[in-house]
Amino acid sequence: MKLHQSILERLIELPNKEPQAVQDLLDDLGLEVKGVENTPGGIVYTIESLANRGDHLSALGAAREISARLLTAVKNPTVATELSSKAASVVVRVSTDKCLRYSLMDLALPSELPIIPEVAAVIGAESGHPPIVDYLNYLQLEIGQPMHAFDRDKIEGEIVVELSTQVEQIRALDGKDYKLPIGSILIRDRKKIVAVAGVIGCENSMCTVDTRKVLIECATFDPVSVRLTARAMGISTDASYAFERGSDPEIVPSALKRLAHLVSGSRGSVGGSDSAHVLGLSAYAAKTIEKREIALNPKTIKREMNLSKLNDVEIKTRLKHLGYSIKESDGAGLIVGVPSWRLWDVSCEEDLIEDFVRSMSFSAVKLSLPPVADEPGEFTEMEVLQSRVEPHLLGHGFYEVISESFYSKEDLAALSALDSAMADCHVPLANALERTCSHLRATNIVNFAKLICFNERKGVSSIKVFEQCRLYGLKGPNTSRAGAESDYQFERDVLSLAVSGRWFENEFRRPPTVEELLFNLKGVLEGIVNSVGGKLAVTHSEDPLLHPGRQGLLKVGRTTVGFFGEIHPSLMTQYGLRSGMLYAELDTDALIKVMHSQSPELPSEFPSTSRDITLRLTVRSLAGQVVKQISELKPPHLDLVQIVDDFRKATEDFRRVSFRLYFQAADRTLESSEVDSAMQTLLAQLKDRHGLELAG
Amino acid sequence: MGLPNTNIEQLGVELESALARVTAKEDLELLRRDWLGKEGTIKKLFKEMGALSAEERPVFAAKLNALKEKLESFIETRTKQFEQGALSKQLESQYVDLSLPANASGAGLLHPITRVERALISALRHYGLKVAYGPEIETEYFCFDSLNIPKHHPARDMQDTFYTANGQVLRTHTTSVQARVLKKGGAPVKILSPGRVYRNESSDAWHTSMFHQFELIWVEKGLTLSHLMGVMALVAKELYGPRRKIRFKPKYYPYTEPSLGLDVALTSKEPKEGEAQGWVTVVGAGMVHRKVLQEFGYDPKEVSGIAFGFGTSRLAVERFKLRDARALYENDLRVFKEIR
Repeated sequence: MKLHQSILERLIELPNKEPQAVQDLLDDLGLEVKGVENTPGGIVYTIESLANRGDHLSALGAAREISARLLTAVKNPTVATELSSKAASVVVRVSTDKCLRYSLMDLALPSELPIIPEVAAVIGAESGHPPIVDYLNYLQLEIGQPMHAFDRDKIEGEIVVELSTQVEQIRALDGKDYKLPIGSILIRDRKKIVAVAGVIGCENSMCTVDTRKVLIECATFDPVSVRLTARAMGISTDASYAFERGSDPEIVPSALKRLAHLVSGSRGSVGGSDSAHVLGLSAYAAKTIEKREIALNPKTIKREMNLSKLNDVEIKTRLKHLGYSIKESDGAGLIVGVPSWRLWDVSCEEDLIEDFVRSMSFSAVKLSLPPVADEPGEFTEMEVLQSRVEPHLLGHGFYEVISESFYSKEDLAALSALDSAMADCHVPLANALERTCSHLRATNIVNFAKLICFNERKGVSSIKVFEQCRLYGLKGPNTSRAGAESDYQFERDVLSLAVSGRWFENEFRRPPTVEELLFNLKGVLEGIVNSVGGKLAVTHSEDPLLHPGRQGLLKVGRTTVGFFGEIHPSLMTQYGLRSGMLYAELDTDALIKVMHSQSPELPSEFPSTSRDITLRLTVRSLAGQVVKQISELKPPHLDLVQIVDDFRKATEDFRRVSFRLYFQAADRTLESSEVDSAMQTLLAQLKDRHGLELAG
Repeated sequence: MGLPNTNIEQLGVELESALARVTAKEDLELLRRDWLGKEGTIKKLFKEMGALSAEERPVFAAKLNALKEKLESFIETRTKQFEQGALSKQLESQYVDLSLPANASGAGLLHPITRVERALISALRHYGLKVAYGPEIETEYFCFDSLNIPKHHPARDMQDTFYTANGQVLRTHTTSVQARVLKKGGAPVKILSPGRVYRNESSDAWHTSMFHQFELIWVEKGLTLSHLMGVMALVAKELYGPRRKIRFKPKYYPYTEPSLGLDVALTSKEPKEGEAQGWVTVVGAGMVHRKVLQEFGYDPKEVSGIAFGFGTSRLAVERFKLRDARALYENDLRVFKEIR
């Protein structure tokens, strides 16, 4: 909204006219100044009307707020003392309750309607509009009431205000064609639609510089109806913006009188034939709008503001300056009558408290603190998980990142090319403005690949990042990523990690191989799982988005907690990655479950003894699986199994993998013979059940 | 009578010559063997000394001992010298240039937004507030309708909304979490809700389709506007330090009444004469609107609620002096490594 200081100064005495002072005052009153311009017509403030109050959209509205702050009176604009007693030359018929007030004023114009200086200063000498339109535009700035001028000679028969019952099409006075939805409030004459109520007039009845007889429309329309129509038309005019926020139904007569005064002097109806004069007036009022009254207890204001000594008189005075009427109630409180321009937004005691506090200034409130709680707020499971996992990640040099929750159709196509199930599990967004936001992410691989590409281009040689984020997916067949076990139907929280380039930042030493990086990352994942009390095992996985030979499923006991591996080479090509990219994803719900299920075991005080065995494994066997198999065979007093070597001779088609088994009893020192016996039994079981033999 | 073919002076000359030829530790061993060993020259002469007369023997022995001592002293000294030299050589060979790069990445860092969120949580946990989360794909009811933002209210224009194909929305504010918590009922309610929110708008320096908010809602008997403003001021001081100026100003939110905002001065420094002091709004707040309380079954006569929300993205930009909001989400690790 544009607020002209010249208009404001005609309505209220400003104590300090400096733009900065005026801006501070307006800001403190909730009329947020977004810009100040020094124009030939004076200072103009751009106000952001956050309150969505129609009465705020004019200099008069601003003047009322200032009046309550400074406790000085608003100088109401001068109006014509009388309008014509004759009816307008056109009959008005209103057939919808969405039109609360409707008046038409017949106005005769001279061949050259002069623009008075105060209007010219604001509108500009060369606006390009017919002068009557300049006056109407000025009035909206001054008192906030949108009005429309029809060329009287283009109106045929009566004016009907009604709701449309079918889709209609019009050419508006901006020269564009619009389709109107069913239920729009239309202004029609006998043959045609002449205006879309509260939004825009039609080209067929618009005024030109040659127009000598005009019909001035001044009305109040239902805000929601205007809004729906304007939205459907895809248009927002000054009028629709104001009507959508609620116009003052009782301002209609005085707005017309103000116009009459501006165009023809203080007695609007009695101009000579060579000057503008009112020929007639027709008014329609749908119903009497009941005055709203609200009970207000001044003690409530005092308690809210923590100002026990606040004077009741001050409360009443400020509210009166805002236009409220005040009556003492039978009890201790007040009965506050709401002014007509606030019928759209004031409905309860809190509205009055807000108005009073604003009029006095929020800086007047005496601050206090609620009592501190006996116990601090407890930590959520997620926070406990973060407190355990984050130190581990940060210690390894991982940086937390936050990436977008979206990606594009092209990204989805790249994923779907590898995994057809991806095409069906994404949540599409129906109305995204940016093409990069067409889908919600079901994996973080894409965003991490982009992040790595971006940082590679910036010369970052070591990229180790993690993100605690949410993934989204539709439930359906083969959509394990969608997180069907989540609290929220389509959402699940994960901890995702990515590694690329060097493990350490510098370029000094030999770059690590992908295998070395995978094991470094596996170490980090083991640390994460350890930090929640679990023990990580890796089994085969077949994630189509990862390199088929370089990936694994992460398990704790029987619970799958995530997966990791190198991303598929075709994705690396797709996203232009120079180095490889490792990706890991841990389900935070699963980690929290692990955290709850683990109870610490104290180590034995007795010495442990170990035995080494070297087994013959096929090339694609999982040594980690053998560790699990040994553990599951439960040799007596077995405490720990470690892999200590993995060797393959060039001439052999199998691997020799060495395991070290630690034995320990909780209550005594074990005899060598009983450990040997346990080992013999174990080797026999490994051979029988799993076909595993000692390497020769 | 003397030893046949033995001229002790000549022997001294020969020894000198042998000593002069010693260049390595191995030469000393040979010297020891040739002169002091079982078959060595000096050992042999000592054995043969019995052939000398009683008068000659002590004189010869003294001279021979002198040669022996000289030789032993020489061997000891040079042994030490050779060992020292070898050690020096070894140490020299083991030199490590410790100015070369370390095998470590240094500690990583949490994201600036997380750091701001943690600071806020830490400041407010003492009041018994705890963190709550909620869905990001939300129903219109929790995002708008229940928060006194009816379908055709212009306030919905302020929050350009992403819609999913089935008519749900991406939450435009974390106030939807408040709504869900209130829906569960009971009092007091003391909740902090940090998280991602979404606006369907074109990105520029200060507008991104996704950003972060942090909200507080506290519903209990006896809470007032004064309490709300007190907590807001406390948090602002916690974030910006006690010297930073703050001010309150009216704002409008459909779900609070009264509504207000908190501005902080752009710097802690006093502006010079004639220099305008800039302000930036960092918090939106208000008393929970009675319609919101009633929607979830609370009686506004019994309880009241305070609520505020920070734009954590903007706070993080401010606090870590980043270029703009986009810098938070493009994840330039060179930048993140600098903001410790």
